[in-house]
Amino acid sequence: MKDGLGFVMAVNLIIWCGIAVYLFVLDRKIAKLEKEL
Amino acid sequence: MIYKILLVLWMGVIIVASFFYSEAAVGFPGQTSRILFFHVPQAWIATLAFLLSMIASAVYLKKRTATADHVALSSAELGFLFCVLATVTGSIFAKATWGSFWNWDPRETSIVILLMIYGAYFALRSALGDPDKKRVFAAAYSILAFATVPFLVFVVPRITTSLHPEDTMNPANPGMDPRTLRVFLGSLLAYTTLFVWMLRLKIRLLKIEEKKDRRFI
Repeated sequence: MKDGLGFVMAVNLIIWCGIAVYLFVLDRKIAKLEKEL
Repeated sequence: MIYKILLVLWMGVIIVASFFYSEAAVGFPGQTSRILFFHVPQAWIATLAFLLSMIASAVYLKKRTATADHVALSSAELGFLFCVLATVTGSIFAKATWGSFWNWDPRETSIVILLMIYGAYFALRSALGDPDKKRVFAAAYSILAFATVPFLVFVVPRITTSLHPEDTMNPANPGMDPRTLRVFLGSLLAYTTLFVWMLRLKIRLLKIEEKKDRRFI
């Protein structure tokens, strides 16, 4: 792993996973609200 | 649903490829050129979002539909978010290449002005109480605000001396490494899909808020 690229890539992947999970949860919550209204 | 799952996987592939498939560009210290795969798509999405906000505002002024206003507001918010992200990633690159997070370079200065212009758009929206008046004023302001975007994003940094790299980062440049070009175009696709997903979420949320407000009235 040159110049710590592996570490930076792992941080990027973790951040992306967090964003993706947040968006999926938000999507489901919005769908639930749409059904209620 | 399928495009969302594909996006999650595709963005993961792009992140891995941007570090281990493409080579670092010549003429930049260390691995700093790899920020291209994140910084440029963020700036692209900011410009696209502001353009969409302007188009939706023009549609609102013509048809006066709530959906057009929702699209205009959502696009402006996302454009602002991606503009902030492009500024932050640009600052990280500036620190590594020019020695300081902020240098008041023409491109840095013009992006700050752009953020202030769109910050005023949100201030205008929150300052007006009457919903119809708010939408009309915001739509007119959004059209005027976008008139500055081509000038601040494309003209100002080119007519003055700038530290910001141009040709090396330009995908039209024939000297660009084919691997770098592939990852860069893949990243543009991933960010554009992410923008569509976020935009749709925000519009749906605004529709729910409007329905709730109508119930209370």
